[in-house]
Amino acid sequence: MNSLRLRLAALASAFMAVALLGRALAFPVDGDKTVLPATTELNEDALDKPREVFRSERAGGKSYLVNLGDLAFNSPGLLGDVARQAGVSCGTCHVNGASNAKFFVPKMSTQPGTFDTTGPLFNPKANNLVLDPVRIPSLRGARYLAPYGADGRFASLRDFVHNVITNEFAGPEPSPAIVDAIVAYIQDIDFLPNPSLGPGGRLVGKASESERRGEVLFSRPFPHDPAMSCAGCHVPSAGFVDHQQHDVGSGGLFKTPTLRNADFNAPYFHDGRFDNFNQVVDHFDRTFELGLSEQDKRDLVAYLTAVGDGAQPYERDGAGATLKEINDFSTVLATAIPAGDKETVALAIDTIGRELRELTEQYPDRKNTSVSGGERQRLLARNGLKELVLTLRRIDMAVAAGRNADAATEFRNYRYLMAAAVPALLASAEPWSLFNQDVHDQHYAALRQVMQSKHLSH
Amino acid sequence: MYKMRVATCLALLAAFAGVRAANAGVLEEAAERYRPYLIEGVGNALAGARALRERAAAADLAGAKKAWISARAGWERSEVFTAGFVPELDAQIDAWPNADSGFHAIEAKLFGAGNTDVDADAAALVEHLNDLHIRLRDMKLTPQGLLDGTVRLAYEVGESKADGGESRISGTSLDDMRNNIAGIDFAYHTIFSAALNTVDGKHDEMVTSRIERLEAIIATPDLPHVDIPDLRRTSEELVVALQGASAKLGLQRPTLEAQAR
Repeated sequence: MNSLRLRLAALASAFMAVALLGRALAFPVDGDKTVLPATTELNEDALDKPREVFRSERAGGKSYLVNLGDLAFNSPGLLGDVARQAGVSCGTCHVNGASNAKFFVPKMSTQPGTFDTTGPLFNPKANNLVLDPVRIPSLRGARYLAPYGADGRFASLRDFVHNVITNEFAGPEPSPAIVDAIVAYIQDIDFLPNPSLGPGGRLVGKASESERRGEVLFSRPFPHDPAMSCAGCHVPSAGFVDHQQHDVGSGGLFKTPTLRNADFNAPYFHDGRFDNFNQVVDHFDRTFELGLSEQDKRDLVAYLTAVGDGAQPYERDGAGATLKEINDFSTVLATAIPAGDKETVALAIDTIGRELRELTEQYPDRKNTSVSGGERQRLLARNGLKELVLTLRRIDMAVAAGRNADAATEFRNYRYLMAAAVPALLASAEPWSLFNQDVHDQHYAALRQVMQSKHLSH
Repeated sequence: MYKMRVATCLALLAAFAGVRAANAGVLEEAAERYRPYLIEGVGNALAGARALRERAAAADLAGAKKAWISARAGWERSEVFTAGFVPELDAQIDAWPNADSGFHAIEAKLFGAGNTDVDADAAALVEHLNDLHIRLRDMKLTPQGLLDGTVRLAYEVGESKADGGESRISGTSLDDMRNNIAGIDFAYHTIFSAALNTVDGKHDEMVTSRIERLEAIIATPDLPHVDIPDLRRTSEELVVALQGASAKLGLQRPTLEAQAR
């Protein structure tokens, strides 16, 4: 089991290495006519996406409020003009409610996975004239993790969400219903289950000797201050947090982050200064003069890796996953259309239509000569998705004109297409889509070739 | 009573068929009126391509770039036609994102690498455009095909260009959009507007207002200032309006991808 854990840790490190390598290889925003600065990396082309687990799905299904919150969370319209133009939403940084370890914006990030929330790009009024990015946190288990913000300055998640929308970004004042919905959505995101953790946050099952030793070290009082220990702040029985802020020698008071699912939350510390648990343990050893041996450090890292694990952290992106998300979003329309709720219908159609347009681009058209084969299937997939986009637009136009019955008819057409016809077309075209690794690589190699011509010459 | 109703229905059907027949003739004539302008647009692209080849051969980078932009403008204005009638040529001339052939291969060299070593690509471009220019004189221009092309292009202009768009190396994606929309405007008002106005003036106004709105949206100093969500919404409203117009014009509902009919 010990070797299994080590292998898992090695795999996690390898994944991180690939992710970092991917930053150099993946296609970034580029050119000199873009909304975001050249070489911005949003990692939107990643084929492996963080898995999202909802509390309410275990209880029978997501509520209207949670689906509305998920929709708003993924709507660029919420975060002001620049975000709207760039297509950046809350979900761009917090992919499926997790973090985005590759997110990087020049002059707003110091390293991948960080972002300066008091920088000039999205809201000049928020600019504090200092490049001080913070790590993009995962939102898994957020309902257990108050206070909010890296420095824990918000006791209320609702206040924190409102502040992000209107101050960190320059979003217009959101309706209370939308803020409530986003809070409900975030509070519904669960930690990934970790079978190694039992009640009280203790290791259970076939934990390795090293992990067991690490667990003991974790609770051992610090030599120079017996009132302190790792577990004193990262309380195992309380989601590995104490809801307090501490100065751990990183430049101020910052709230205790959870260790649950932390294997997938690198980089670490408020400013993302550490790439892995080894560096974190070294920092604490130095700062608090813990006198750890090399074996102690390995044991602590093994323990942190065991605690930070989670089942199926990533899932393969594909038409099925995207359509599932779009179907969840679309349930909002089932309520908003009969109610004649123009604002919600417009938000839903803007967000879903955008997602459908992006999905369409996963099926290259005939002008994309980097892809060969399946031309007919790709064409039919694109056609089906475009029909969906236009059906949604008809709904929007009908609701705006007060023709709710027409909107309801169009929504039935939309649901019919989404139930069988379009999924079948997409499945048929999938081998020639960008969801296929080989096709994906050919397409992005072609894009890189184009972009590199600009950078190699001057 | 029943016989009267049947007779009325038959009379209405006959009248409707008459409208369709009348429209068909009107639209075919209008499509013929569009032909010389189409020939001129492709001719401009051809002239630009020839100038591009000549300037590149003379190692005149600035002149070659200018000629590329000119050739590109003629091509983008004609896209209402090219996407529907000569899709195989469209893939050769306007392949994207590949920088192996066509406009974007030349763009990468001229605007990206900053060299004028484009003779083979420019020669192929001239050959393709010349071939098309000749074929245009006799090619059958169906109103249905032109409406299909107009609708497809109207949808395409609504795609986000936040990443710099298709011509991001030269930084001329906004010009592409302007020429696309000018092409839509010209095709619609030359071929379809009068016929639709006869049947349903309000619908004609609806289409025209959406085209004008698109023109206003792209009247910005640069691409990053184009209101992308508004562009998308208006492009989709235009497509919906044109789809609605098709039945009134006696045409089939336009498809959104070439050969999807």
